[in-house]
Amino acid sequence: MDPSFPTLILDHVSKSFGDFKAVSDLSLQVRPGRVFGLIGPNGAGKTTTIRMIVNITAPDTGTIKLFGKSMTTALQDRIGYLPEERGLYRKMKVGEQLRFFAELKDLPGREADKRIDAWLKKLDLTSWKDKRAKDLSKGMQQKIQFIASVIHEPDLLILDEPFSGLDPLSVDLMKETILDQKTSGKTIILSTHQMEIAERLCDDICMINKSRKVLDGQLRELRRSFAQNVVALRVEGADGLLNDPEVITNVRQNGDDTEVLLTADASPQVLLKRLVDANVKIAKFELVEPTLHDIFVAKVKESA
Amino acid sequence: MKKFFAVVKREYIQRVRTKFFVVATILFPLVIVGFTVVPAYMIGRKTGGPTRLGIVDQTGLMYARVAREVNGDEDRPQPQPTVPTMTPPGPAGARDRAQQMAKMVKADYALERVDLNGRTLDEVKKSLDVRVTSRDLDGYLILPPDLVKGGQPEFHARNTADLITKEQLQRAISQAVRSQRMVDNGIDEKKLKELSKPVQLKATGAAGEESKGEGGFFLVFGIGMLIYMSVLLYGQVVLGAVIEEKETRIAEILFSSMRSFPLMMGKLIGVSLVALTQLVIWAVTFVAVSAWAAGSSFSMPPIPLVWFVYFAIFFLMGFFIYATVYAVVGSMVTTTQEGGQLAMPVVLFLIAALFVSFNIIRSPNSPLAFWASMFPFFAPITMLVRVVTETPPLWQVLLSLGIGIATAVGLIWLASRIYRVGMLMTGKKATLPEVMRWIRQS
Repeated sequence: MDPSFPTLILDHVSKSFGDFKAVSDLSLQVRPGRVFGLIGPNGAGKTTTIRMIVNITAPDTGTIKLFGKSMTTALQDRIGYLPEERGLYRKMKVGEQLRFFAELKDLPGREADKRIDAWLKKLDLTSWKDKRAKDLSKGMQQKIQFIASVIHEPDLLILDEPFSGLDPLSVDLMKETILDQKTSGKTIILSTHQMEIAERLCDDICMINKSRKVLDGQLRELRRSFAQNVVALRVEGADGLLNDPEVITNVRQNGDDTEVLLTADASPQVLLKRLVDANVKIAKFELVEPTLHDIFVAKVKESA
Repeated sequence: MKKFFAVVKREYIQRVRTKFFVVATILFPLVIVGFTVVPAYMIGRKTGGPTRLGIVDQTGLMYARVAREVNGDEDRPQPQPTVPTMTPPGPAGARDRAQQMAKMVKADYALERVDLNGRTLDEVKKSLDVRVTSRDLDGYLILPPDLVKGGQPEFHARNTADLITKEQLQRAISQAVRSQRMVDNGIDEKKLKELSKPVQLKATGAAGEESKGEGGFFLVFGIGMLIYMSVLLYGQVVLGAVIEEKETRIAEILFSSMRSFPLMMGKLIGVSLVALTQLVIWAVTFVAVSAWAAGSSFSMPPIPLVWFVYFAIFFLMGFFIYATVYAVVGSMVTTTQEGGQLAMPVVLFLIAALFVSFNIIRSPNSPLAFWASMFPFFAPITMLVRVVTETPPLWQVLLSLGIGIATAVGLIWLASRIYRVGMLMTGKKATLPEVMRWIRQS
């Protein structure tokens, strides 16, 4: 298959539940081998979108193509899905449980056993294999659920809020594991409302709000196009300088930093020169890239 | 198909391995034994030796006769201990049962003839009352002088609630009085014995074969109770199995891997296999224990083999139909408690089927019988009633089976739809209009 051919294409997809529009007219493309972030606040329609992709519900209108084909049960086996609402059979042993999920994805038992052992070792859970799920901590359960979603080595991995409820160490481990999957050529869809995480992991993103797409594209380009003339400063004795309306339109305090928004034609160099000329003591001078959060807020305001 | 078997396997293995399953499998037969054998044994074996009775015979000639009847007349055939028939509950039923018990329980009395010896009856009563209170006697009978002419005998006892003793005494006195009246009317004692030989009715079917009706009757009620009990026992398990993924929020993973119909079907069959495993264990135990208890005299009741085939088929059908009802209910609710209440009215169908079959036994070819045996919720019992009474044409049996299977499959399909949509609607209990919409929607 053409490596640039999108793994997943959503074409004008809509879904309503009664009077409630969950997803309206959503189109997007997910390219192979990349981490695609589906981003938006709670209730934006992320989970409904994912459920349509994994064939739990069908869209009211629009089409979904996976690997160039319409959805079938066989295609379902090529997807790995970690739902946001997670659960395990409480009284079932971890090993048996994973094997059951592998069987549901049509993975032969012997192969499954081998992979289960490898994964448990990788995530440091080998000694828990014969324990019942209810005896595991929440974080451990989450790791087991993650294993269940990747055990059949799916080509497309869909993770819905994979970091919620994890301690910092586990978050790092999970990030690492996700990037491993990417390195081995898998396509990953990451749905989250935590923008900072998406920022660090995603290659492409699609932002949705109130059932509609707000914007999508390559993360790096989006940030560039949204770049504003903002400089974060930590300086002493520059009070007068920051009030010059020729250069600076707005000043706000962000923790220890002072963030200044420059006028459209002023460059950071001009500001820096002025500060140096005025003999101001500079501890920090940094061009601020817009965060996803900033972009999201700006876009939502724009469309409102 | 592989996924379907994965579900069946999981449901089966996870359940059979639970402590609950093991304990229930062992405990249930013990409980049944406890509730049937032990009370019968206890009542049958009045503890503390024979019942000691004093008999005041004012007629002067009845004592010997009554005494003979009370402790059983060796010349007359002992009443066969029959299987107790079903009796309706309530006081009348209880009396019937006591009568039956009285027939079955072996009489064991130590009798004592009390003569008036010139005392008045009241004096004798008083002295006997003293002996009863001091536990020297368990009770006493007073046979009035006009007993044979319709006088009423009196029975005084410490324990007047002992229905069995009362019943046995009444029977014995009646028998004695009847014999005495005949002798009084000039019938010779020896002749009397010949004349009162009881008749055994031998029922024969139309084809001349010996009737097996009675065995069939018990078979039908047996299966009715069996379906009823297993539905009550395992309906809850089916309900729990269907709700499990909702409660543990696993449903989403399952639905992203397989369709809901094979999932539902797999669950139902997995649980049913658990039920059958348990029932087979119980059945084998039961047969083994009764064979052992009966010793060499053990023989199968006279029931044709083909009935066992029908029995098995209709039991399975009945079990599946009612189990699917629980699956449908399970798909609508979020907790097992809610589900139990919702499923209850449907179980009433089963009881209704038992009542309808009373009528069918008497007229197995009536239109009522036909339609009742086509209605899938009645068919497991009503069709079986017809099979053992007047076997209907094969096409009717097959049609009834077909309708039953179609109903079960249809219900599972329905359950799987409701389940899938309901799962997406985040765990609240569904109202009926909502459910209807879901069915159309998915």
